[in-house]
Amino acid sequence: MNDDLIQREQLSALVDGETSASQMQAVLAYAESDEGQQSWRMYHLIGDVLRSPELAHHSQHDVLPGVRALMAREPRPGQAVSGLADGLPLGQLEQVVPPSGDHASERLVGNGAPVVAFPVRSAANASVFRWKMAAGVASVAAVAAIGWSVMLGSPGQQPPVQLAGLGAPQASALTAAAPAAPGNAGASELPLGEQAQSSSVVAVAGPYGQSVMLRDPRLDELLASHPQYSSAPNLQMPASFLRNANFASMRPAQRP
Amino acid sequence: MTPPDFPTPSADSDLALVERANAGDTRAFELLVIKYQRRIERLVGRMVRDQDQVQDVTQETFIRAYRALHQFRGEAKFYTWLYRIAVNTAKKALQDIKRSPVLTESALHTGDDEDETSRFGQELTTEETPETVLAAQEIAQAVNAAMEALPEDLRQAVTLREIEGLSYEEIATAMNCPIGTVRSRIFRAREAISARVKPLLERQSGKRW
Repeated sequence: MNDDLIQREQLSALVDGETSASQMQAVLAYAESDEGQQSWRMYHLIGDVLRSPELAHHSQHDVLPGVRALMAREPRPGQAVSGLADGLPLGQLEQVVPPSGDHASERLVGNGAPVVAFPVRSAANASVFRWKMAAGVASVAAVAAIGWSVMLGSPGQQPPVQLAGLGAPQASALTAAAPAAPGNAGASELPLGEQAQSSSVVAVAGPYGQSVMLRDPRLDELLASHPQYSSAPNLQMPASFLRNANFASMRPAQRP
Repeated sequence: MTPPDFPTPSADSDLALVERANAGDTRAFELLVIKYQRRIERLVGRMVRDQDQVQDVTQETFIRAYRALHQFRGEAKFYTWLYRIAVNTAKKALQDIKRSPVLTESALHTGDDEDETSRFGQELTTEETPETVLAAQEIAQAVNAAMEALPEDLRQAVTLREIEGLSYEEIATAMNCPIGTVRSRIFRAREAISARVKPLLERQSGKRW
């Protein structure tokens, strides 16, 4: 068996992953030769067609010449910037758009000797990441704006006014600006300065124009001390729609 | 998309070729291109329908793989890694086509010069000429015919290896023969098939193998 046959048999074993470690480098070196490459191509074609006959169609086009031409213009995979390592003075830094157009490589020109630099390539999802960052900042700003407005309160609302705790002058200022309720016609006939000191029930206009009944806290205290005279539960406002259930007042026949 | 389940490829030889390519041996990467170009082209052809685009995308796939070769650590199979690059490259190509449709020669191919109907905007389809279809059939028929003509032991050995994906050791057990004999039979089977297919390829391509 001549050397060529031996090498082709070793190449055949390499195709099947059955080459020993000691023979690997020698077989690979033969595979990279022109003859070895032809045998490599043929062995793989046979295997592909046996496994899937449709792959025979894809044997019509050889992409290797095009790939070879493009590889010639590419730096070695993972090659670092050699100009800096050699201490060459940095010349004019120029941006060079590579043939493929999807990344930029920096070519450092020093002493007239172009040095192929490591391709500086932005991440594939760099633009997407920037949009995500912008969206995140916008979301935080929106939440902050909403929170701030909630803390300050809506400008359309007015804090509830409680006249009960006010002194006479303040109460008189408010009541003077509001129309009196029909039930308090008597109070409205009094002079303004005396209205605040007379009846403890005064009607003022609410923010929407309705009459709001304000109660004197002294009335609440009086009612609290005498619950038997209160026809309503101890509420801020008379709950006329509620009936008092009093077992003591029911006749024996009505008890369940 | 997951890669199809092919017989176990020579992972060690793929990794060895990657290491040589990373060391600057471009011929080592060319061997990987030769080995996987048909499968990658078939995969791309299923995603990109224009034949001209298929070749461009296939080339782009290998170039992208070459650029990123130093990142391949051998944790996964090389074909799995290459498969993902091909899918991503094809998807990018489809997006580019949608943004700016490009008329290729295969898309413009029409038999009526006076036809004013514009084909621009129509979906690009794969142009399989009768010649290429016939050529592919001839190759497949030649391989099958060569297999049929093989002695039984050679045909059985190469079938167990190429189609069943058994290792040399497993084939030796199945055929009750030494591993060296298995290695020799498979090699002789390949040589016999090559002898019938090579002239056909030379005739089709017009150049000598």
